[in-house]
Amino acid sequence: MPFNSLDYFLFLPAVYLVFYLAGDRARWGVLLAASFGFYAALKVPYLPAVLALVAVSTYCFGIWLHRAQAPGAKRALLWGGVAANVLVLVVMKYLPFLSENLRGVTQLFSLEFQVPAVRALVAIGVSYYVFQAISYLIDIYYEVEEPEPHFGYFALYLSFFPKLLQGPIERAGDLLPQLKTPYRFDYDNMRYGMLLFAWGLFKKMVLADRLGIYADAVYNDVHAASGLQLLLGTYAYAFQICMDFSGYTDMALGTARLFNISLTQNFNSPYLATSVADFWRRWHISFSRWILDYIFKPLQMQWRDWRTWGTALALVTAFLISGIWHGASWGFVIWGGLHGLYMACSVFYKPYQKKIYQAFGIQKSPYLKYWQMLVTFHLVCFAWVFFRVNTLSDALYICTFKFLSVRHRGASLLVHGFDRGDARLVFVAATLVVLGGWLSRHERAQRMWNGSTLLRWGCYNALVLALIFLGVKSQGTFIYFNF
Amino acid sequence: MELQERLNEVFCQVFDDDDIRIAPEMTADDIDGWDSLSHVNLIVAVEATFGIRFTHKEVLTFKNIGDLLNCITAKVQ
Repeated sequence: MPFNSLDYFLFLPAVYLVFYLAGDRARWGVLLAASFGFYAALKVPYLPAVLALVAVSTYCFGIWLHRAQAPGAKRALLWGGVAANVLVLVVMKYLPFLSENLRGVTQLFSLEFQVPAVRALVAIGVSYYVFQAISYLIDIYYEVEEPEPHFGYFALYLSFFPKLLQGPIERAGDLLPQLKTPYRFDYDNMRYGMLLFAWGLFKKMVLADRLGIYADAVYNDVHAASGLQLLLGTYAYAFQICMDFSGYTDMALGTARLFNISLTQNFNSPYLATSVADFWRRWHISFSRWILDYIFKPLQMQWRDWRTWGTALALVTAFLISGIWHGASWGFVIWGGLHGLYMACSVFYKPYQKKIYQAFGIQKSPYLKYWQMLVTFHLVCFAWVFFRVNTLSDALYICTFKFLSVRHRGASLLVHGFDRGDARLVFVAATLVVLGGWLSRHERAQRMWNGSTLLRWGCYNALVLALIFLGVKSQGTFIYFNF
Repeated sequence: MELQERLNEVFCQVFDDDDIRIAPEMTADDIDGWDSLSHVNLIVAVEATFGIRFTHKEVLTFKNIGDLLNCITAKVQ
């Protein structure tokens, strides 16, 4: 049941009504039942069973880990719990990829051993709650968190429906106390939650889905596209994925706010980043914090005697895992590897950065920041090529500039299905999104917003009308659903 | 030399800034260039200067320079 479906528009008010009428002691049960119902609505019978399995096993390992006294037993339990979760992830997501590549290896060496073909399973949401489960166990191991004694609340922490399918990846210490707080109706939260939901829907339907028409037309037939169309298609995809995912996150945060719950903000103007490291502090924040805390930092500490090389190696490893997390394909692996490589290079470059700027006399230039943003954006876009392409040969065609040898006489900047009207709409909608983000950070604008009923209701109506008349009608699925 | 002064020297050396003056309540937000990537360089430099070794758990639970100072004090005594 995606957030942009009619089913969800009926489901959400119904759940809220039952939640509101139930007493505080029963509310966790209402949300837990709603979350499993929401997951079951995907009509994949084994998915709720996998969620229940992860919840039960992680809950038990958490309790045992807390009770264990001997360091050896604690370590064994931690590895046992993490391995159980990783096994679920491998079975659900990676078996077909592993089997296919193993078959390739056996064929290459003409081995007689036959690797059976494995059918792909639907794994929507699994990588998100498995990562949450692993973080929960590691936090207990390091005594950063206590295990949750109430199984119902723990299962709800893993399955809470606004963040079940695409995150944010929440830490137990942030979400569990909020789930246990008695509910009191809060008009401001209700208003803010609904506005955030509608705003996310606007980003998705008006902007992301429209940009997707351009990116799909270019990337689904790269050989027919001119160089300029490929460049614009890559820009379109960069903004499509950003608006798609940040729109989804707004809808998740907005839904949770109706229940007085604040989820982690996942985005902070990522394309204004001045370095790739800065990009990862602004893009999919809950995920990059997870990779940083549970993969990069332990590896960096383990390899700290290798100094800068140890840090570089830890970065490449962490980003390769990040790539694989997104899906079982070589495109994602290369995307992760590229980001790891960017970051590893920056570790070696950083000590000289200040000196280079001083040598060129640009360290205090007001334009330096904009130059850094431009370079970072293009590095990120280059990596997006591998994320988006349908096949690796398409990526090779683009990266080796083969399109330059093909004549595209009179090739237009526009593509099939995306006309001048769409281009104008994208421009206006993007300006509104930037303006909306800018205004939401300014106190004076906030005061004006809160003080004027006319302004607020004018904007609410405009937003609803924009969704009805300007939204792309064919319901597009969210890109991050697949991860 | 007092422990805090020696630690201050390590900070100046790692972050290439002689003007740094550390205080127990300061965090990574207060020092230019102190991020998760450079953090381990600081840890390695502190370990080498004081002849000590931190565990991963200790490094994870440092909330500010005061925590780092307390841990160093406990280890060198």
